[in-house]
Amino acid sequence: MSFNLFAAEELAIEKARKLGEALAVVAPDCVDDFNELVQAFERSTREQQRLVRVSDRLQAQLGAANQELERRRQEAETALSHLRDAQEAIIQAEKLASLGALVAGVAHEINTPVGIAVSCASHLADATRDLRRLSDDGSISRGDFARYLATAGDTATLILTNCQRAAQLITGFKQVAVDRASAERRRFNLAKTLQETLASLQPKLRPSGHTVAVLCPGSVELDSFPGVLSQILANLVMNALTHAFPDGRAGHLVVAVDQVDTDIIHLSFSDDGVGMTEDNRLRVFEPFFTTRRGRGGTGLGLHIVHNLVVGALKGSISVQSAPGQGTRFDLSFPRQTPERD
Amino acid sequence: MDSLNIPATGRTPAVAFDFASGHLRMSGESYPDDVATFFGPVFTALRAYLADADPTPIHFDMELLYFNSSSAKVLMNILQMLEAAAKAGRPVSVVWSYEDNDESMRELGEDFSEDLQHVAFSLRNVPVGAIG
Repeated sequence: MSFNLFAAEELAIEKARKLGEALAVVAPDCVDDFNELVQAFERSTREQQRLVRVSDRLQAQLGAANQELERRRQEAETALSHLRDAQEAIIQAEKLASLGALVAGVAHEINTPVGIAVSCASHLADATRDLRRLSDDGSISRGDFARYLATAGDTATLILTNCQRAAQLITGFKQVAVDRASAERRRFNLAKTLQETLASLQPKLRPSGHTVAVLCPGSVELDSFPGVLSQILANLVMNALTHAFPDGRAGHLVVAVDQVDTDIIHLSFSDDGVGMTEDNRLRVFEPFFTTRRGRGGTGLGLHIVHNLVVGALKGSISVQSAPGQGTRFDLSFPRQTPERD
Repeated sequence: MDSLNIPATGRTPAVAFDFASGHLRMSGESYPDDVATFFGPVFTALRAYLADADPTPIHFDMELLYFNSSSAKVLMNILQMLEAAAKAGRPVSVVWSYEDNDESMRELGEDFSEDLQHVAFSLRNVPVGAIG
């Protein structure tokens, strides 16, 4: 038995036709009008059948369109995933490249003091061998001995200062790689930590008469790394003391914290010193960038600050400066440091 | 009588009724937001045209590629009006175009021609992208 969607309509039409035949007998005048009615109903039924087909076709088209949409969505997802992988690979390559630059910089920096120490040690060894030979021969003179003492004293001093310089560079380099695991995380009061850090820096600040103002509400509590924050502030202060006031005048430094009601802390550090050129400003966070090459600058201080803010505090840092306009560092970081990257 | 020209939009078809030559054409896609607003003027013009005792043969090109249920009913009404004119003695031809591989559109054309006895109805297969 076949299924007919329009069985009821066909049955009604069949009954109407039979009714028409009966009507032809009893009321012949009505037959034409009645037949028109039946034809209109027949046509309406056919139109209904067509509309059902149109509707089914539309539904099928919609289904196909949805399938196509889903297929393209998955393609886009796959493409996005590939893109993320590629991005990750680029970041890793970039990290390796910057690590390579770091290692090259470290090698270059350490090479100078170590090279000097090696030359001095070699010179001292030569002088010592010469003196021993004279001593063995029994022909050593008072002058020979005096010259040797002068040489030994000079070379020992040079070896010591250059080895100290190398050790200092290595200490700085170790700080570049922040050991986040060893940094202690806890809840702490921001104003208190800032004050304590500045107190520890007083021996450096006091002789030159610089003042540091801290503008921070006493109520700001952080869930973060106080040691990291302390090191950031110390490096910023040392950077300002080294560069901002070459004329020896007493400067004013300001640490200001605002927008304390939000989840992001905004901390600025500014000085009223000599400022810097745009070229220098753009490179200030680069490792080994220093304007004091050969005069004690390692070019790592602000690079370490940048790494600590971005890496450990998950924040950001920017710097504004112009010659004669002072310098201002703006730091933003979450009040509660996120657990993971 | 002036011809009726409505350019296609995203949801409504192009309507080109050149009444002087008797060439009528609807093409594109048809799923208007308000079927009465769009097709009302089309029916008014067509009804007025068919009411004239003009003997010019009528040729209707049905080139819709996609239409919703309301538009399907519109098409059936137009075909019925053309059938009435043809029955009254005016030569009317209808060409139902469908794209390659669109079997269901071809079947709809056959279905829609079921009630046409006086209209010369034909199906036309066109390459994909040739109309619209």
